[in-house]
Amino acid sequence: MANIREIRERIASIKQILKITNAMYLISSSKLKKARKSLDATMPYFEKLQTTIESILEHTPHTRQFYFDKRQNVPDEKRKKGYIVITADKGLCGSYNHNILKYTEQELAKTPDTDNCYLFIMGQVGRMYFQNRAAKKASVDGEFLYTTQNPTLYRAREIAELVLEKFEEKELDEVYLIYTDMINSGQYEPKTVQLLPFSRRHFGKTADGTMKKLPKASFVPSPEEVMAYLIPNYAKGFIYGAMVEAFCCEQQARMTAMDAATNSARDMIKDLSLLYNRARQAAITQEITEVVSGANGLE
Amino acid sequence: MAKSFHLEIIASDRVFYQGECEHLVITAIDGLIGIMYGHEPLVTSLPTGELKYMVDGEWHYAAISEGFIEVMPESSIILADSCELPEEIDIKRAEEARERAEEKMRQKQSIMEYYHTQAALNRAMNRLKLSQKHFK
Repeated sequence: MANIREIRERIASIKQILKITNAMYLISSSKLKKARKSLDATMPYFEKLQTTIESILEHTPHTRQFYFDKRQNVPDEKRKKGYIVITADKGLCGSYNHNILKYTEQELAKTPDTDNCYLFIMGQVGRMYFQNRAAKKASVDGEFLYTTQNPTLYRAREIAELVLEKFEEKELDEVYLIYTDMINSGQYEPKTVQLLPFSRRHFGKTADGTMKKLPKASFVPSPEEVMAYLIPNYAKGFIYGAMVEAFCCEQQARMTAMDAATNSARDMIKDLSLLYNRARQAAITQEITEVVSGANGLE
Repeated sequence: MAKSFHLEIIASDRVFYQGECEHLVITAIDGLIGIMYGHEPLVTSLPTGELKYMVDGEWHYAAISEGFIEVMPESSIILADSCELPEEIDIKRAEEARERAEEKMRQKQSIMEYYHTQAALNRAMNRLKLSQKHFK
């Protein structure tokens, strides 16, 4: 039978942890409420942004615009790829960070040469992970310091400007964004989206395989100029939407994890107090037996 | 009454307007564009500026900052960073933003910072202008 004092100490320490996890649960649930609200407010914009851009591209005549340049003359193993990865600032949120980091590793493994990968990581956890990992191949931009808490359009704009500038200066040939996508309130999974070069996906065909006849839209003043303005705007809007979504997922994940932790702490306390009471009773019984047998011995 | 078309104005933080509209006037990069039912397909970007649209014969005004518009004959979509009615504009906040931006303009800055400040100043001035013009 375990020592009574040991059990008591164990219960006390679990109670302490319970307090922390419970507090974190409450904090994350109130933050989640806020994040949900901003997600709901941003979602129409985020979705409309993607569909509108798609439909605009369908109407766009072929342009030699800079952001569409695939740079095919750069061979595959020399292409410099930039990844913007959105992780959390803190741990204790279940598999949220783990999933996104694993996913990023897989994405990196797909590239022919990891030396040409550049990581732009948002969130403390991801930054620590990639700076310290053993296979130090992909370089992490040390000055890319952005938090994922309370996403703002301002921050999204700065990030978009940074990657666009790197793209323009040919420091990067491709830019991807890795973030956690919310499928529904209980389900989320990491996702990659290519931001640059801006690829014209093949939407030209309808469901039955015939080519859609689309009228070409006119661009004022010119397609090139409109695109030069529209794509940075799109990148910014997209990054913002991804940030909001990832933040919401993070809070959701933390809430679930902390709820589970609180419950299991309660279960442990229950089991341990049963054990404690048994040990206490056993000790009392033993004491009584000792007293009685001692008294018997005196007779 | 003129035939109406479907208009959607979506800001990054909310759906600003969704519904029928008879006449829309936007400020594009190179000037004002008026849009009515049956306009040719058009795509253009919108700098920080003013926007007005007519619903049931009445003009509505809004301050818009950075976005773009896709016009189709029977519908139009505007996507913008922010969009506000004149009465929603926080004059005090805009005033403060303007002062901050003006103060920053006097400092030596990098080109990037200069553009940022200029854009911020533009937004603040636009808000102030619109709220003075249409909301007393």
